[in-house]
Amino acid sequence: MMRNLRLLRVLVLGALTLGGATVVAYAQAIYHPPPGQNFEGVWLIQGDHSAVKTIEGKLPPLNKAAAARYAAALKARQNGKPDFDTIQTCKPHGLPRILFAAYPIEVVQEPTQVTFIHEVHHMPRMVYLDMPLPELADMDPNWMGQSTGRWEGDTLVVNSQGFNDLTTLDSAGLPHSTEMRLAERIRKLDADTLEDLITVTDPKTYTKPWSTRVTFRRQPGLRLKEYVCTDSNPEAAATKPHG
Amino acid sequence: MRCLLRGSILGLAVLMSAASVGAPSDVIDGPLVRSAVSSSDARDLSGVWYIRLYNPQINSTLGRLPPFTARGKAEWDARVKAAKDGSPIADASSYCWPHGVPRVMNSPYPIQIIQTAGETVIVHEVAHNIRHIYMDQPHPQSVTPSFLGDSAGHWEGDTLVIDTVGFNDRTWIDEIGVIHGKQLHVTERIRKIEGGHALENIVRIDDPEFFTEPWYARITYAWRPDLRIAEYICEENNRNMPVSGHTAKK
Repeated sequence: MMRNLRLLRVLVLGALTLGGATVVAYAQAIYHPPPGQNFEGVWLIQGDHSAVKTIEGKLPPLNKAAAARYAAALKARQNGKPDFDTIQTCKPHGLPRILFAAYPIEVVQEPTQVTFIHEVHHMPRMVYLDMPLPELADMDPNWMGQSTGRWEGDTLVVNSQGFNDLTTLDSAGLPHSTEMRLAERIRKLDADTLEDLITVTDPKTYTKPWSTRVTFRRQPGLRLKEYVCTDSNPEAAATKPHG
Repeated sequence: MRCLLRGSILGLAVLMSAASVGAPSDVIDGPLVRSAVSSSDARDLSGVWYIRLYNPQINSTLGRLPPFTARGKAEWDARVKAAKDGSPIADASSYCWPHGVPRVMNSPYPIQIIQTAGETVIVHEVAHNIRHIYMDQPHPQSVTPSFLGDSAGHWEGDTLVIDTVGFNDRTWIDEIGVIHGKQLHVTERIRKIEGGHALENIVRIDDPEFFTEPWYARITYAWRPDLRIAEYICEENNRNMPVSGHTAKK
């Protein structure tokens, strides 16, 4: 019904214009989120999350095979040859790793979509509020997966899946499979602090779901810079695909 | 409900064609993400748009090549010849760099416009280019040259005017061989046309090093309520990547 009314209004407006009447209506429907749900602005992660731990401060519950992969990654990094790390060839960080990067994140909001723009690799992440998350079997795995969300009060609840297994969860090298699902609960702790409670579920890699927590600090007046990975790594883009 | 909706659209189309503004040719059937036509608010550009009549060569609105200086013409000729000879000179997109302006506005991939109080954001599917257009603010006093430049926007009636300066000299204007230097100054005038079914961008291009006078191009985009921006990773298996230097052998 609402929809029809709106269309009717379009029709009337059109008719008025045709009739020669001057219709000047520059309302510009800029969306202003309710104060508690307003995450708009530029944020920067607090603390070092290069080797992610659980909320309890422990190593995530890796299964045996995954623990071996993690150990190999740590060793490779130590030896200065972290070949597992696709960031080196300018591939996207994937989730949740891109959240841990020490670069600003800009949030812009619409009623149907919350968009996170990461300065690092100038990577956008759309969180759609107007659709359910597709079934994993229906998704084409990609680097950033797909994210959908909903508001629970002033908490943005985001679910993501559909990832390839070429990324790691952190710089240290926590692995994951294509079956990984992420659940995030994002809320403001105060006007200038954003909290993201992240739960990783990946039965192929971890013995049980585990959670970690990060906070972001508002950066008033900061504009995102142009970050171009392939500019400083001109040959990176020439490498063969992984996997 | 859906029937009524379609009826209304049809009604609008009839009204519009009566006024000879042209009936929308891109009416889409089936379930849609967003409404079948962009909102009636002239200043609401939010949503997904897709270039129409994509042409890798950007001609001036006079229907011919831009008014080149001798330098501009020589650079054009060199690029056209290199492509013809089978060893094309690579542009920024081949290196997975941001595409520059207006090049990025002339790409055969969807774009999504997001409007907030102080900023208009354009998310481009192609190589995840993102334009930040800061509204009603002057350019910063000092601008570090970049691929996408520094964009300042404001409204003039129903038209979003975007002024962009502060470019580096490593992008092209089009994909064929119109290039530019650091003095490039681009002004875009973007407005909705055809009752919200399309967007028009009149681009003014000024660079005294490469053009004898400012010239204009016109690009239009269709409203695409059926699309969402997909992941496009240039850095993955990039077949365009020149192996060395600025030329790629076939």
